[in-house]
Amino acid sequence: MAEDLVLDTAIRDWVLIPLSVVMVLIGILRYFVSKLMRSSPSPDAKIVKEGQVIIRARNLKAGANFIPLRSFRTRRLYFSNEENGLLHVPKGQGTNPQAQMFSDPNMAMDMMKKNLSMIIPQTLTFAWVNFFFSGFVAAKIPFPLTQRFRSMLQNGIDLSTVDVSYVSSRSWYFLNLFGLRGLFSLILGDENAIDDTQRMMQMGGFGFDASKSLGAEKDGLDIIQHDWALPRFEQRAESVLRKLVK
Amino acid sequence: MVTKTEETELNQLENQVENGGGGVWEYLCLVRKLKVRRSELVLKHGLSILNDPGKRSSLGPDEWTLYEQVAIAAMDCQSLGAAQNCIKVLQKKFPESKRVGKLEALLLEAKGMWEEAEKAYSILLEDNPLDQVIHKRKVAMAKAQGKPSLAIEHLNKYLEVFMADHDAWRELAEIYVSLQMYKQAAFCYEELILSQPTLPLYHLAYAEVLYTIGGQENLIAARKYYASTIDLTGGKSTRALFGICLCGSAIAQLSKGRNKEDKDMAAPELQSLAATALEKEYKQKAPAKLNLLSSALRSLKL
Repeated sequence: MAEDLVLDTAIRDWVLIPLSVVMVLIGILRYFVSKLMRSSPSPDAKIVKEGQVIIRARNLKAGANFIPLRSFRTRRLYFSNEENGLLHVPKGQGTNPQAQMFSDPNMAMDMMKKNLSMIIPQTLTFAWVNFFFSGFVAAKIPFPLTQRFRSMLQNGIDLSTVDVSYVSSRSWYFLNLFGLRGLFSLILGDENAIDDTQRMMQMGGFGFDASKSLGAEKDGLDIIQHDWALPRFEQRAESVLRKLVK
Repeated sequence: MVTKTEETELNQLENQVENGGGGVWEYLCLVRKLKVRRSELVLKHGLSILNDPGKRSSLGPDEWTLYEQVAIAAMDCQSLGAAQNCIKVLQKKFPESKRVGKLEALLLEAKGMWEEAEKAYSILLEDNPLDQVIHKRKVAMAKAQGKPSLAIEHLNKYLEVFMADHDAWRELAEIYVSLQMYKQAAFCYEELILSQPTLPLYHLAYAEVLYTIGGQENLIAARKYYASTIDLTGGKSTRALFGICLCGSAIAQLSKGRNKEDKDMAAPELQSLAATALEKEYKQKAPAKLNLLSSALRSLKL
């Protein structure tokens, strides 16, 4: 139907606003709980060293043209030397992050804590929303949508003739879930603005996969052609001085 | 590195604070954030806040950070009594704290009790073997005791793990230069140039080390790096201008009688331009010494 439904303002007062408020409060609560439960990370010396090696190798790549050829070659050899080069990872030995995760009790505990602190509030809130706020139209989305979204957005509403723009409160919940990140960064300070969406993305690739990055850096270094930039600098200096002296 | 806006803001706050205006807390926070070394001012104004119980309680939990900052500033100014008091307060509040432990060891170091400080640092390192600050303090102690080779050893070990720390590379380069180990110093400066290629300071230092090592190839390279310094500073670096003139004359001396190869192809007029620029600068800034300069330049061109 193309006619506009008039929604009761009571819906706005008693559904939309309380739901948003509750989600903000739960987010803040979760932040404080995670702060209390956070165990100080004890970095492994090997991991730190590998991280720093990568930074240094990247600097070498970036600034290669600023140092003389001989120095560049020495450093490149130091990094990618077949026997004991820093970036060289012999084939069987690359640390497998998966294996490392399961064998290292600390990291496993950390991951569990992070997952728990994310899953439990989400589940609870979702169940609460479904229980209390289902079965009616909660809001109208300002732009038109196709019929495919009906099953996703109108879950509690069992009328198939209602325009898809009218959504249930479940979709308001999801909207808040993804949208409150900006608000959290304002309230809690920039560093803690990670919310569920980022955590979910992080869950995919965890662990600092050192062996792959080392290999990548080594390949990058091997490709570089050294083109000493300093002679060009001499000419530029000449022109600078010429302008200065005029 | 401190940016220009931050620098102006810092100077402004400093003037304000010195002349009795307010803003002491903002000044202390800015000093802490930028990690600049203004120990006398920090000590004076920090103590004035801490000794006034009204102002102190208005700081809330930041009070302890201020105690730490004032303790370090007091040790820098050698007023060890004030430092001891601050540390005592912090110890009462945070017993068994590693951060306070660091301050205590720092106090031992400031008093000159090297063995005790060494022991304290070793204990702290056992708990946390990857603490960069403690490693650097050990290097500083070795340097203060006048044992540069020990400092070099510690720094090298530190850099094996933390090889991307450019401050450490810089410190190592300076120690090498003080010990006249120029080749090693050149290596360190190359690392610095790699990490921050647009900073003229490192180019200049590298050029000077190359010039000091000497030899045809190094002199040519030194000249190129002096040129890059000029380019990066827009011609304002007097030292680089002098460097170019000196390099030019040194190269000419070395290759007297030999074939003049392509070393001058890149920038044949660089030396004369540098000399002219130098004269212009001296005319502007130190006209009394202009004659000295001209005669020196003339003797170089031989």
